[in-house]
Amino acid sequence: MKIKNYLQQSLSLQFVGLMLRVLLFIVIGAVVIAFGYRQLNQFHANQNNLLEQKETIIKQIDNSFNQAFFDFRGYFAFENEALKASGYAQEEKLRGLLVDFEEVAETPEDHIFLDDVREYLDYYYGELVPEVITEFEQGDREEVQQVANQGATKTLSTFQTEVRNYRSKVDNQIESNYELLTERNSYILIIVGIYLLSIIVILFRMTRIMFKNVGQPLSEFAEVANEIAAGKEVDVNVNLISNRKDELGRLSVAFKKMVVSLQDKEQDLIGHNEELIAQQDEFEAQQVELETALANLKRSENNLTHRNDFVKGISNSLNKQTVLDEIIVNMCKITEADQGIISFLDEDDYASYGISKAGEEQFLNNLDNGLNEKLVRYKESFTVKRELDQNEKGFHEEKSYGYDLYLPIVDVENEVTAVLVLSRFGSPFLEEQLEEYEGFAKQISISLENIQMYDQSEEDRMRNQDILNTVLEGIQLVDLDGKTIQVNQKLCNTFGCNSWTNGILGLSMVEWLDGMKSYIQEKDDFSLFLTRAIEAVDIDDSFTYRINNTNKVYKVYANSLFHDEEKIGTVFVHRDITKEAEIDQMKSEFVSTVSHELRTPLASIYGYTELMLNRELKPERQKKYLTTIYQETKRLTSLINDFLDVQRMEAGKQSYEKKYIDLLEIIEKVVDSQKINTTEHHFEVQVDTSFTTVLGDKDKLKQVFTNLISNAIKYSPNGGKIQIQLYQDSGYLQTAIKDEGLGIPTDALDKLFSKFYRVDNSDRRTIGGTGLGLAIVKEISYAHDGDVFVSSEYGKGSTFTIKLPLVETISNTTDPIESTKADEGYKVFIIEDDRSLAGLIEQELEENKFFVHSFTKATDALKQLKVELPHAIVLDLNLEAGEMDGWGFMRELKSMQVPYSDIPIIISSALEEQDKSLALGAADYLVKPYKASDLSRTLLQTLLKKEKRGQIFIPDPKKDE
Amino acid sequence: MKKILLAEDEEVLRMLIVDTMEDEGYEIDEAVDGKEALEKIEQADYDLLILDYMMPQVTGLEVIENIRKNPLKKDAKILMLSAKNQQSEQEKILDIGADYFMSKPFSPLALLEKVEEIINEN
Repeated sequence: MKIKNYLQQSLSLQFVGLMLRVLLFIVIGAVVIAFGYRQLNQFHANQNNLLEQKETIIKQIDNSFNQAFFDFRGYFAFENEALKASGYAQEEKLRGLLVDFEEVAETPEDHIFLDDVREYLDYYYGELVPEVITEFEQGDREEVQQVANQGATKTLSTFQTEVRNYRSKVDNQIESNYELLTERNSYILIIVGIYLLSIIVILFRMTRIMFKNVGQPLSEFAEVANEIAAGKEVDVNVNLISNRKDELGRLSVAFKKMVVSLQDKEQDLIGHNEELIAQQDEFEAQQVELETALANLKRSENNLTHRNDFVKGISNSLNKQTVLDEIIVNMCKITEADQGIISFLDEDDYASYGISKAGEEQFLNNLDNGLNEKLVRYKESFTVKRELDQNEKGFHEEKSYGYDLYLPIVDVENEVTAVLVLSRFGSPFLEEQLEEYEGFAKQISISLENIQMYDQSEEDRMRNQDILNTVLEGIQLVDLDGKTIQVNQKLCNTFGCNSWTNGILGLSMVEWLDGMKSYIQEKDDFSLFLTRAIEAVDIDDSFTYRINNTNKVYKVYANSLFHDEEKIGTVFVHRDITKEAEIDQMKSEFVSTVSHELRTPLASIYGYTELMLNRELKPERQKKYLTTIYQETKRLTSLINDFLDVQRMEAGKQSYEKKYIDLLEIIEKVVDSQKINTTEHHFEVQVDTSFTTVLGDKDKLKQVFTNLISNAIKYSPNGGKIQIQLYQDSGYLQTAIKDEGLGIPTDALDKLFSKFYRVDNSDRRTIGGTGLGLAIVKEISYAHDGDVFVSSEYGKGSTFTIKLPLVETISNTTDPIESTKADEGYKVFIIEDDRSLAGLIEQELEENKFFVHSFTKATDALKQLKVELPHAIVLDLNLEAGEMDGWGFMRELKSMQVPYSDIPIIISSALEEQDKSLALGAADYLVKPYKASDLSRTLLQTLLKKEKRGQIFIPDPKKDE
Repeated sequence: MKKILLAEDEEVLRMLIVDTMEDEGYEIDEAVDGKEALEKIEQADYDLLILDYMMPQVTGLEVIENIRKNPLKKDAKILMLSAKNQQSEQEKILDIGADYFMSKPFSPLALLEKVEEIINEN
């Protein structure tokens, strides 16, 4: 059962089992048949042998009986004893044969035969033969004959017949045995045939079984599978075997399961499919959404790209115009605008895209009004829809609209700094776009602010650098390692940076120090000082050095630079102290010279008075001493005067009372006074100009000429001609004083006008002097906007030339208006918005014979100028608001041609703007409130100056009260 | 008679000193500047040299330096007159080799006294 179960579990095992059974059957069949056949043959052969043995034995028995019979017969017949023995011997043989036969006897017949034989034998040998032999011996031969005749012979023959019958029976048996064998062999043949037939039947059956068990189910499977494949619904329970346990069974089960599962799955699938269809619908809907989203994303990406470009465009440059251009182009791209403009509100910078010059101009001209004003006021973006005009529509004929977006660029202080206007044709700006664009606007604001900050800082930096460059000191800033961080131009000029570096900035200490050292004398000390200064924790020190091959003296100040109380570097300021050094030098020389100069006359006075007081002196000696004392006292006095003059002049405290004076008059007076001091010199005054009037301080100019002429006398100890020549040259009145004296060595010429400088040589040691005369001459000349210079040939004489500004002559000008008006009196314009004040001034001036014309507006006065030319104008600076003010009038007038620009302007103002006014060309300045008489006096003075210039006679003004 | 050389560029002072000294019987040679002084020193021996500090061309200091270098003249007695009366200047003058110093303005009688003192030392 188990095996069966086992076999049933496997088709192959089943097949093997089947085959085994078939084989077993075949083998067993063959064996059984062969064995049967063999048994049969053997049985028959044994049977045969047995029968043949029986036959043989029977034959021998028969023979032996016959022998015995004949022997006894012979004995009787011949009485031969041998025969009787042989007859008796036969009994033995027969008894043996009977034993043999007993062995092969099997059938009852055999045993009956055997018993008969044995019975007969016993009778024959036990009764008959002994009786007959005894009778025969007794000679009863008759009796023997009788016995033989009576029966003996008959029994014998019966026996013999029986044996022979049995023998034939056995022969028959052998015969029938053979026949039986043949018959049985034929049976065996039949059996073999049946066996073969049964094999065929079995095979056929097997095939059928296999077909039934395997092929059919398989083909069914195939069919079902095909049907399933074809998508038909199959009832597997009906069609398929499932109670089998072999592969097919399992296959079937599996198949069933599969089919069921497939069917289930198909159901599922159908379900799914429906779901899927539903989902697909959903997906399609989603796809549409996604596509929209994608489009949005793409737009966002574009926007991002634009934004990136935009940001890059902005961050790449710090140039305002470039950035503005980038902004507008990128903004137009991002917003898909067709036109756009961005403009600062309070600066001229702007950039546009797709807008004509005229359009730009129109926009810029209306920056402060219209929609821009709204933008500035509310600081919120807005859009405007408008119908496109003809040129914007292109070839489209139908109505189309343009949309303008106004975006404010608002700075951190929430002020609108710039406006951005974008224009789109056809498509309006959407709410969400506006939000994004406002984001951009913020970014733009930041960028612009950055640029402005950069500009500002750059401007600051440049200004700082400019300031540094204007500083006369060389400035160098180095870091803690001594690397140069900043310098100004002056530093490089001082140290000739260009000759040893392409740029001092960034140079290490060694490099720049070497460069600088090559320029100065105190190389080591200089280097030591700078190195220490850089290394010092805090330093505030200076060092003085000289530049090679020059007389330049510099002082370098080192100061540590701190930031948040931490040293970040060192600042070196190289100051050219050549002048200071010279001044220092001069000061100390000055002190020693003053000391010397003062002590010398003092010593004389002291010494001579002491001698006079302590010694008895002759009168002539007394006189000589007193004269010396007097001279020395005079010298001392003039020395002190000169010294004080120079001090005053240098301190700018000397006041000059300048008037129009005739220089020739002064010179003549000086010559007259100097002539007294000499007999060896003769003077010659040569006037080569008709105009010798200058504006100057009479006393000071007199001092100038006294100094120069007395010098000429002093330094031409051998006498000679002193020539004074007046001439006109390039707008100056020049006065040359020429002597034929000692002359001045060339190397002394430069220093000649320095204080206390005195040409130091033997031929002039006796010539006294303070060394201040020429310094005074120079100061006074400068104070008169003039100059003094010297030319000299050593040993032959010197020429000192004073030049003073020439007072121009108006008679040279050919202005008819001026001339004619002058004869009628002075015409004065008053420009004053305060009518009551104007009235007061008018009254005052008219009392002083002026013709007055008042204006409240400067522009009116300007118009009137063309009609009548005034001699002077009294101008108020602050005029009515919104009108041209005094400054404007003055600029306007001064920019006009002569004679307008020449009209003197007297400022009458409450403002303290003297300097600016005078710089602009005002003739004089009166600060309100002032006395009315001050104005007329000032006017007169001013006009007098002008008249003098023009050599025009004027009536004596009533100024000297 | 004691012989004195006076080097002074100021004529009035020269006259003052000469008058003061000659009245007392000194023989005075005059030089108007350092250069002339050196020439005269070369030619004669003086009991005393009175030198002004500030003279044109060759100053009194230079004269002293020159003399002190000259083996023949280096022991000459020198009195320097100077308007420079600061302590530092005086020291400088004495350092360079002047034996005596007198600042301007000076008293001619005091100078005379000083000269007599110097000459009588020897």
